[in-house]
Amino acid sequence: MFPIGVALKREKNVIHLTYKDIMMIKKEMLYRNPLINLGYANEDILPAGGFGAVLAYAGVGKTALLVQLALNMMLREHSVLHVSLHDAVSKVDLWYQEIFHDIAEKFGIPEVQEYWDKIQPYRFIMTFKVEGFSAPKLEERMTDLMEQNIFKPIMVIIDGYKFDEAGRGQLVQLKELAKKYSMGLWFTVHTHRHETPQENGLPLSFLHVADLFDAIVQLATKGDEVYIKSLKGGSADRSPKDLLLDPATMLIKDNQ
Amino acid sequence: MKIDDQKIRNIGISAHIDSGKTTLTERILYYTKRIHAIHDVKGKDGVGATMDSMELEKERGITIASAATYCEWKGHEVNIIDTPGHVDFTIEVERSLRVLDGAILVLCAVGGVQSQSITVDRQMKRYKVPCIAFINKCDRSGANPFRVISQLKAKLGHNAVAMQIPIGLENDVQGVVDLVGMKAIYFDGDNGEMVREAEIPANILEEAKAKREELIDAASLFSDELTEAILNESAISTAMIYAALRKGTLQREITPVYMGSAYKNKGVQPMLDGVTYLLPCPSEIQNEAIDMDKNEEKVVLSNDTEKPIVALVFKLEDGQYGQLTYIRVYQGTLEKGSTIVNVRTGKKVKVGRLVRMHADQMEDVEFLRAGYIGALFGIECSSGDTFTSPDVNLTMISMYVPKPVISLAIVPKDNKSQVAMAKALNRFAKEDPTFKTFVDHETGDTIIEGMGELHLDIYVERMRREYGADVSTGNPRVAYRETITQRADFNYTHKKQTGGAGQFGRVAGYLEPMTDAEFIFENKIFGGAIPTQYIAACEKGFKQSMAKGPKLEFPVTGVKVVINDGASHAVDSSDMAFQAAARGAFKEAYLRAKPVIHEPIMKVVVETPAEFQGSVMGLLNQRRGMIIGSQDEDVMCVIEAQVPLAEMFGFSTILRSATQGKAQFTMEFALYRQVPQSIGEKIALEVAQNKKSAA
Repeated sequence: MFPIGVALKREKNVIHLTYKDIMMIKKEMLYRNPLINLGYANEDILPAGGFGAVLAYAGVGKTALLVQLALNMMLREHSVLHVSLHDAVSKVDLWYQEIFHDIAEKFGIPEVQEYWDKIQPYRFIMTFKVEGFSAPKLEERMTDLMEQNIFKPIMVIIDGYKFDEAGRGQLVQLKELAKKYSMGLWFTVHTHRHETPQENGLPLSFLHVADLFDAIVQLATKGDEVYIKSLKGGSADRSPKDLLLDPATMLIKDNQ
Repeated sequence: MKIDDQKIRNIGISAHIDSGKTTLTERILYYTKRIHAIHDVKGKDGVGATMDSMELEKERGITIASAATYCEWKGHEVNIIDTPGHVDFTIEVERSLRVLDGAILVLCAVGGVQSQSITVDRQMKRYKVPCIAFINKCDRSGANPFRVISQLKAKLGHNAVAMQIPIGLENDVQGVVDLVGMKAIYFDGDNGEMVREAEIPANILEEAKAKREELIDAASLFSDELTEAILNESAISTAMIYAALRKGTLQREITPVYMGSAYKNKGVQPMLDGVTYLLPCPSEIQNEAIDMDKNEEKVVLSNDTEKPIVALVFKLEDGQYGQLTYIRVYQGTLEKGSTIVNVRTGKKVKVGRLVRMHADQMEDVEFLRAGYIGALFGIECSSGDTFTSPDVNLTMISMYVPKPVISLAIVPKDNKSQVAMAKALNRFAKEDPTFKTFVDHETGDTIIEGMGELHLDIYVERMRREYGADVSTGNPRVAYRETITQRADFNYTHKKQTGGAGQFGRVAGYLEPMTDAEFIFENKIFGGAIPTQYIAACEKGFKQSMAKGPKLEFPVTGVKVVINDGASHAVDSSDMAFQAAARGAFKEAYLRAKPVIHEPIMKVVVETPAEFQGSVMGLLNQRRGMIIGSQDEDVMCVIEAQVPLAEMFGFSTILRSATQGKAQFTMEFALYRQVPQSIGEKIALEVAQNKKSAA
């Protein structure tokens, strides 16, 4: 692994955008990708039509982790649709820019804007009100985009879905949608401190749909540090029990 | 002379286009008895609202230039600046915010927080203007003030808290419940001028209690006294609540929200009370100036009327009696007959007539004290100039002015129009720093530059109507730029020997790209290869070359020039020779530095009914737009995209026809980005053709 901050030194203010840089940032992101390190099978983590979930308490970094996964896809020129059920488009956009800038800065890439302009077209943000969101509505919006050849996602992030309120039916519909368009769907799952996890580590409010998911990971904090561990889908023999993450980039910390 | 300035409020009214701010101002002026009849924007009586003083504004139903006016409300003097809502005129909004102490953010009870509200809010943040919100149009079908409050929280990050709840909505709008005083307020009389207080209707009493609880909870964060009263369950006075809310509002930590319908004459007076209770007086705002005598050190101005005068010109207008200069006094007292200095030009001027403005009528005054807004007559200056007493050399911090992104050639029809056009352009350029004009020496055309198509359209219209200048316009042109993408060396010798004194100069070094500055010149010559006295000439030569790129003759930006070697001749070298050598060197290296064209990219926000979302996205996509995202909001949908300005001409007509006129859009400059190769080739071809036809 490259130690952080030893990317090619450049004179201040000078653009030297090289193929090497792009390769390096891709390599670093892949190398430090917590999910790969937890033993998930391939770079895309989810199979086509698969479901993934990131569980955590409020404020631990569910969205940040998924944005990092999305950036990973975008760097590999795979399209990501980010559906937010609580934030405005501009706020979601800011998430991406900040995390990308943090990652690029850590790896000493001076000309981040140029990269950003290159990968930004691989992302599309949609926001809905929680109560206005449904699988048919998402399909309708996606068809608008796909029919006109504007955007066809390979990965979809659904941030802010209320698992405790929505029944299994809607998720089954979403699963069908994922299969129909060969997409992987990632969800954030907001867990509560007052809810005691079951034996498998999953909260009770999530159990009724857990079987639909191919990959489930959990984020937890110990003091100021954020850890990630696999609850479902990771390969136990390949992976350590949990991994320490850098809270700014949600990539694996250097000193592990 | 020490005057209590606690009773002065300098406020602005900012909002999205068509959210009814001009109507609101009209009502304020009526209730404060500054006007005696109400005329509506686009009204049937043909008079138009008082604040829309320009003929064109009345016709288009939008506010273009911010008119300043003042009124009195319950012993307070309130100066109001009505600000334009369209993004193309944002410089006006920015200028107004610069001189204001507080603002009313007007929102539509149906549309809620729209794209322009976001822009205006950003500007308010930049100038740290405390604000209260007024949710207007509660009489419209689909009105929901509480949805707007949650949007204020979610979209703008305001800690918005309702000061009132409505009594009836849509057709049934009757009045409001004041949650501080816990009473119902109704607005009787033909024009709602009689405010009647009554008991809260029983059916909404519980809701009112719950909302009051929320209000007090939010306010308690800013007052220990209030927190204590809550904990001790002792009586909570209205003064205590207002004091806490005022503290929070001044820190921009809380946004009190009033509601009503200006058009139906509901809820305006309580909001005016809110202005006097919650928005700051001039001495509560810290204003800073730069001391030119002390190495541009920052100086905090005091609101003392005895101190030397510091005043800022924030708007110019050409009235029937000559130039009218709107001014805000930050320190001292500006008196009729006193002498002041324009810090930019150093010219002394004597204050002649001083007036306070009421839309396009005026009232003569003897003096303007610190904290006041007024206007001067017959003073030659530009917008943004600072005037001070002769014994100080302070200047107000310059305002942020974006660069123009679009240009248009204008040709007068005859000689008379030419004279009128020159007069108009001179005036507009002085009034509006984002509007620029110059003569293209190659084509001989007069070019005007601005922030968008509508911005320039309005000026061309004003030229025709106000100045009688009959002009025809060419196609709008986009302000492309060139820049280089890689380092390239140069070693150029300029040598001329044609009898008499010759010319000789050699410069060597390299060009390299740079992102955060337009031009940097670095001298790395040691040992006097180029004598020191010619270095400045070299820099000048390179700088001249930047004005017109050798590739397509667009201005060049983002270039660092380093010279590290050269040669001179004892007799033949001169400033001229080195300037020419630098120009030659630039030309030599430039094409090898892989130049590219950059174009302005606009942030376009379209609000459309959801059923047209697909077709709007299609339209944006056809225009090389990159759609950032879409936001579903019940029946409406907001699409955000980045689109090259070159593709946006005529977009409003196309959007209207594609959405049955139901969608609207705003556009503002976002960034410069490299044009795709195919488009670059097209631009090159066009430039070549233009050159050919000009020749």
